[in-house]
Amino acid sequence: MSLPPVTPPVVPDEHPHPVPGLWAELRRRLGWAVDGTTLKETQLFLLLAVIIGLFSGLSVVLFRIAIDWTKLLAFGSGLTAPWTRVLLVPTIGGLVVAYLVIRFFPRVRGSGVNQTKAAVYIFDGYIPFNTVIGKFITCGLAIGTGQSLGPEDPSLQMGAGIASALGRRLRLSREKVRLIAPVGAAAGLAAAFNAPISAVIFVIEEVIGNWTAGVLGAIVLSAVSSVVVTRWFLGDQALFRIPAYHLVHPAELLAYAALGVMGGVSSLAFVKVVAYARPRLKALPRWTQYLQPALAGLLIGIMGIWFPQVMGAGYGYIDQAMHDQFTWQVLALLAMFKIISTSLSFVSGTPGGMFAPTLFIGAMLGGAVGGIEHHFFPWLTGSVGAYALVGMGTLFAGFLRVPLTSVFMILEVSGNYSIILPVMISNTIAYLISRQYQQAPLFDLLSRQDGMDLPSMEERREVVSVHVEDAMRAYQGVVLNIEGSVSSALVSADASSEGFVFVEDGGGKWYGITKEELHRQSKQWRERASLRSLLSPVPLPHVHPDHDLQEALRRLGDLPFLPVVNRANFRKLEGVVGLADILRAYRAAG
Amino acid sequence: MEPEQQCTKCGRKYPWGQAQCPFCSSSEGYLWPQRRDTFLLMIFVLLVLMFVTTGFTVRVYHEVESGLAQDWYTRGEEDLRAGRPQDALTDFRTSLSYSHDNEQHQLRLAQALILTGHREKTGTEARTYLLNLLEHEPGNGTVNLELARLAARDHAVSDALRFYHGAIYGEWADNAIVKRRAARLELVQFLLDFGQNDSARAELIALAADLPPDPVLQTKVGTLLLRVAGYDDASKLFRLALTEDPRMPTALAGAGECYFKNRDYAQAERYLTRALQRDPHLEHAAAMRDTAQAVLNLDPFNRRLGNLERARRAALAFDSALTRLQHCASQKGIDLKAAGSDPLQALYAETTDLQPRAKERYLRSDSALLSQVMDAAFGIELASAHACGEPKGEDLALLLMAQEQGGPRQ
Repeated sequence: MSLPPVTPPVVPDEHPHPVPGLWAELRRRLGWAVDGTTLKETQLFLLLAVIIGLFSGLSVVLFRIAIDWTKLLAFGSGLTAPWTRVLLVPTIGGLVVAYLVIRFFPRVRGSGVNQTKAAVYIFDGYIPFNTVIGKFITCGLAIGTGQSLGPEDPSLQMGAGIASALGRRLRLSREKVRLIAPVGAAAGLAAAFNAPISAVIFVIEEVIGNWTAGVLGAIVLSAVSSVVVTRWFLGDQALFRIPAYHLVHPAELLAYAALGVMGGVSSLAFVKVVAYARPRLKALPRWTQYLQPALAGLLIGIMGIWFPQVMGAGYGYIDQAMHDQFTWQVLALLAMFKIISTSLSFVSGTPGGMFAPTLFIGAMLGGAVGGIEHHFFPWLTGSVGAYALVGMGTLFAGFLRVPLTSVFMILEVSGNYSIILPVMISNTIAYLISRQYQQAPLFDLLSRQDGMDLPSMEERREVVSVHVEDAMRAYQGVVLNIEGSVSSALVSADASSEGFVFVEDGGGKWYGITKEELHRQSKQWRERASLRSLLSPVPLPHVHPDHDLQEALRRLGDLPFLPVVNRANFRKLEGVVGLADILRAYRAAG
Repeated sequence: MEPEQQCTKCGRKYPWGQAQCPFCSSSEGYLWPQRRDTFLLMIFVLLVLMFVTTGFTVRVYHEVESGLAQDWYTRGEEDLRAGRPQDALTDFRTSLSYSHDNEQHQLRLAQALILTGHREKTGTEARTYLLNLLEHEPGNGTVNLELARLAARDHAVSDALRFYHGAIYGEWADNAIVKRRAARLELVQFLLDFGQNDSARAELIALAADLPPDPVLQTKVGTLLLRVAGYDDASKLFRLALTEDPRMPTALAGAGECYFKNRDYAQAERYLTRALQRDPHLEHAAAMRDTAQAVLNLDPFNRRLGNLERARRAALAFDSALTRLQHCASQKGIDLKAAGSDPLQALYAETTDLQPRAKERYLRSDSALLSQVMDAAFGIELASAHACGEPKGEDLALLLMAQEQGGPRQ
């Protein structure tokens, strides 16, 4: 028994037919480097990542200006608008958006994160380009006219859509086209948040689940280039002015733990409302879908007469909450009304994102909790602004269920490392509460409501993998030396209860041979010949006890068994594993 | 899950609703070239075009924003001038929403926030804006001064001192000397309010060294110096002020007070009288003038006096002191004639023996007796002041004389 030689399959060139002509001649003369033959696909992928980042950054800049301009035209230049406008603008805006969505851009509904995931896992990286245009127009109009949604999720999807279009037009391989959508998503999100690290981590944590060096490099390049473009045009100021924060006494962390509990409960309430209302509204007759965003807009407008802060993305008000401009009572009311208004906007099918509203609710909730705690425990030194900042991450962790991103995002937007302890405590508590009482995370819930079963990154993280050590059994036979004679090998093999024997070459390479094969070969060759002459020159693949069973299966191939060897000493045989052992272990693991 | 269709050319699956297979080049049109390098070149051209378009759009939008920011800023200034800080606050907030980085707008918002006066509500936001501005321009005098005012409002003494000094030594866009001086005066007032008189005096001396020939200012600083017992420096300033404006009542009163505090009652009386001639409403000066006159009228040690007048004054002083002692004792409920351990009782016992001899006729020829009588009078005034507080009129004059003499002579 020995491994057959492996020949890599020949992959046909998908575009091998250059068209001769003037352009070809020009290319030849100029020594054009960017050629399918001179630029490898991996290099092209990285170059494309930068290009995607640049396009995404430019698109996000225009998108943000479109939103601001729409808002300016719709509501006027003052911080507060007349009540008639506050009522009419979101209502009429809702009607227009609904018409555009139903008639021209049906794909822009729903979560951009899920649509990017669907592109990766279902549609081979395909996102229609009219989704990008649709997201730009409808989300710009919706957010600009006061719907309680944010620009980040649309930005993410625009980035993914641009990436998908470019990848397909450049005729990358199917594998690369699949991976290009998350690259664009990271670029879009990074530009929208002005926070490249958070965007990269979010895409890894929620969209692709794992990463290789190539993918990570592309995601980082695209995120960085998009942020560079955004900062170039819009300046490098952070989304918020961050209040100063110092943790004076560790006991104050208890106060942040209380915020974590409140954040977890609020996240649950928010998810439950969305999960309950969305499918019910979706099931209503088609004609009502023309009216749902308008009705949501009207209700938001009614709220907006007293609380204009709940309209739109609300970043300015987050900033104000962080600087003690609201009492804790107002902050608590704003958090509650924003949950209602965002739920109304989202479940009515209005396109837009949930990131900014989540941050808004978190900031208001954090500020309210901070205010209450200061009222009852005036010795607490953390400012209300610090609680608002931590609250943003808390809701992010609890509602969107992206604990890592939530921590890094707060660190990135605050630029203050000392905030990390409160953030970690509060976020973890909120995340655990949300996970305990709401099995499916929001994104998974939405995708299932849309009839897709996309892989859940959270479930993936929670899956307990079965390892070789769970499947392997002890080897009962003998281990022969490769330099030993065939005759002595026959004696040892006959005394063994196993149907095969392992041979080791003294350098940690393992070979195997069945008893029958040994007998057959010994008859053909002289018994005094060494074992080496009987064996294939290719050693057996081996596994280690901590290897995943999937890896063991891959290495097993057509072989009946694999040696399990120690990681620190390749000559030490820990056991043996075969297909039957692996299947038994999988059955036992359920 | 969305349904798929299979490309007849390349065999790959792609979503329904698409007229063309996204992976296969079979049905590409003119705009989408076959070659990867040609398409890359097109992408670069498109990128350049998009950069130009975005740049143009951003520029136009920023111009719109700048215009709006300026409009709202102007409204805010008008509201501030009209005494409507709350409206100004909204205006400046709106202007800043269109011009986040505008430092002038941030500063005016912070000032409006401070003007609205709600310490808890607006202080933090104002401070955040100001600290942000200070980070960019640590030597900005206006920002330092506003931060100092906030710190002073919050009774944060060390921060207030730091920011006031930042304002005094900082940069000002115009009238730097005047504004630095005003900041120092504000700092002095803050120090006086917090009882830090020594620091205040040091600041006032530094201020006095660099004052222009402005009698109002000199008088103001001199008056502040009087509060921290800097009589000599104050006196110089008042005299300087009087060289500029010899009829200025506050300077005259200040100079008079300096003489008074330095126990030159004749000069004090002269300046205070002149001050009151110019402004009869200077109550403090009037009281001082009366006291100075009382001292001058009661003092038996004036070398120009004859024996007769000296004796008359001593007898008068003794009687006055004794009356003061009796009033003080009755005020305190002490029986002076009874034997006890109270200092007033002991003093009364000592002076009772002296009382028959404290008459003009005895004192006229007995300078030793005169000294003894005056010592007794001074002792009574000092003890009474200790027990019953500062007296008025002749008793105050006697007390001042006693303090000048350092108490009864041994």
